[in-house]
Amino acid sequence: MAQLADIKGVGLGLKRELIPQIQRLFNDTGVPDTKIANINFVEIAPENWIGAGGKAAADLAWFVERYPIACHGLCLSLGGPDPLNVDFLKQVKQFLSTNKIPLYTEHLSFCSDIQNGKAGYLYDLLPIPFTEEAVKYVAQRIRQTQDILGQRIAVENTSFYVAAPISSMTEIDFLNAVLAEADCNLHLDINNIYVNSVNFGFDASQFLRRIPGERIVYGHIAGHLQADAELLVDTHGENIIDPVWALLDEAYQLFGIFPTLLERDTNIPPLPKLMIEVNKIADMQSKNTSNNRLASQYQRGVQNRSSASC
Amino acid sequence: MLEFQEYQLAFAAHIRNPSSNKKPAKVPDVRMAIYREIVFNNIFGSVSTCFPVCQQVLGKRAWLKLTKQFFASHQATTPIFREIPQQFLTFLSTFNNLPVYFQQLAHYEWVELFVGTQATETPKTSKRTDLLNEVAVLTPAHMLLEYDYPVHKISKKFKPENIEKTYLLVFRNKEFQVKFIEFNPMTFNLLSLINEKNLAGRQALTKLAEEINHPDVNTVIAFGARALNDLVEQQAIIGSVKTSSKI
Repeated sequence: MAQLADIKGVGLGLKRELIPQIQRLFNDTGVPDTKIANINFVEIAPENWIGAGGKAAADLAWFVERYPIACHGLCLSLGGPDPLNVDFLKQVKQFLSTNKIPLYTEHLSFCSDIQNGKAGYLYDLLPIPFTEEAVKYVAQRIRQTQDILGQRIAVENTSFYVAAPISSMTEIDFLNAVLAEADCNLHLDINNIYVNSVNFGFDASQFLRRIPGERIVYGHIAGHLQADAELLVDTHGENIIDPVWALLDEAYQLFGIFPTLLERDTNIPPLPKLMIEVNKIADMQSKNTSNNRLASQYQRGVQNRSSASC
Repeated sequence: MLEFQEYQLAFAAHIRNPSSNKKPAKVPDVRMAIYREIVFNNIFGSVSTCFPVCQQVLGKRAWLKLTKQFFASHQATTPIFREIPQQFLTFLSTFNNLPVYFQQLAHYEWVELFVGTQATETPKTSKRTDLLNEVAVLTPAHMLLEYDYPVHKISKKFKPENIEKTYLLVFRNKEFQVKFIEFNPMTFNLLSLINEKNLAGRQALTKLAEEINHPDVNTVIAFGARALNDLVEQQAIIGSVKTSSKI
C-alpha cells in the first residue's frame, strides 16, 4: 500500500486527453522525459474509474505502476439529505485498495436530493447552508465515511454562487467547526477561497489565516471564469490568475508546503502548456521549502498520520 | 427533516424543474441561474454524448425537452458518471409518446458505451482452437442483440416504420475498439445456441439443421464453420473450450 507521504510535490488531474500525451513521454526503460519531471502524482475521480474495463482499465493500470495516485471524489454527497451511499463507499474502499491509493478526499457540499420520496443524484456540487445543525449532520457523515473506509479522509472547501439566507455562520466558521467535530483532514482549495471571496465579498487572506494548517494534507489550485465584476465561476478552464498564485504562496508561507494539484477540467490545453503551471507550483514549493521551518514539521506530521491510518 | 435540509430540497427541486418549483426565498435569481445552467448542462452533455443518433432523429428542440424531462423527473440512483446513460434508458422505458423504434435505438447506442467500458476477465481457452468439436468462446466484452428494427441504420433520413427483425453482435476487440456485426437469423441462432447452451459447433449446427428440416446436415455444418471462422478473424471469437470445461 502506498503511503500518504508518497503524495507530495505537484500533481496533475488525469484527464483522458492527457493520458496519451503523458504516456508518449516515457521511454522504453520506463523513465519519464525531464519535461514532465515535476509531475509527482496524478489525481482521479473514483466516479469516473470504478468498475471501468477496456481502455480505461488498461490506462489506470499503467498509471498505478508509475505514479502515486490521489482520489478526489465528486458524488459522495457528504451534505446530502438522503442516506450516505454505503454500497458506493465500499466500492471506493475496494478501489483504493486495489489501486494502492492512499488518499481519498471529498467536497464539503451535496450532490443528491430526495423528490417524491426517492433519492437521486444531481452530479454537481451544491452548497450546504452554514448552520449548527448542518455542522453536526455533515461531521457525523464524515465520521461514518472514515469508519467504513478505515482511514481518514480530507474534505475540501468548495466554491459556490448562492449564499443560503438561513446560514447562521460564515464559511470559515462552518469549515472549522466541521473539521473539528469530524476530526478529519483538510483538502485546501486555494482557488475556491479566492472565488468565494469575490462572490461573497470577504478577504481571502483573512480566510486563509484562519485555516487550521495542521489539518492540511492536500491542496488544489485552478483557474476560473470571470462572469462579471462580482461573480467568478469555478470552471477549471482558464489559466491561474496572479491573486490566486499569491494566495498559494501565502498558504505555503503560513503552513509550509503541502502536495498541490493543478486542476484543469475544461478548455484543456496541450500538456506543455499545462506544465508551465505545474512548474510554477514546483518553483513556489522549492522557494518555500528552503526558508520555512514549518515545512519540515508538516512533512513529519504527514508521515505520522499516514503510518497511523494506512 | 432538518431546517437546512428543507432548504436543500427546495434548492435542488428548483434546479431540476424551475418552471414548476420556485427558487428558495430571498435567493438572487442571477446566482441561481448559474446552478440551473451548470447542473443541467453537465447531465445534458453526458446523455447527448452517448445518444447522438437519438438526438438527430428527434431534432434539437425535442431532444432538449426530453433531456430536461429526464433531469426533472428521474431520480438517478448511481454515483458513477458512466452509468448516467443507463439511467436515461430507464427513464425512456416509462415513455410511450416517442417513435416506435426510439427505445431500441437508444438501447443500441448505450450498448456501444457499455461494451466499450465493461470490466471483463479473459476466459481460458484451449491451446488449439477447434470450432466444430469444442464450444466457441466469444470475447468477454460483447452483447448478442435482437431488435425489432434495423437500429444500426437509423438516421435523420431513415426512420423505420415497420418491424424488421435485426440481429447484431456488438463486441470489443483487442485494440479496445467497439465493433458490430449484423447476422442473418441462422447465424444468430447458432451463436445463441453456442453461447447459452454451451454446445460445440457441430452439435449446435446439427440441432439447427433438424430445426429447419434441412436435407443435408453437412451443408449446414460447412456453412456454420465458415461463419465461425469469420468471427475468429474479426476477433469476436477468441478461441474454444471443451464442452465439459465451460460452466
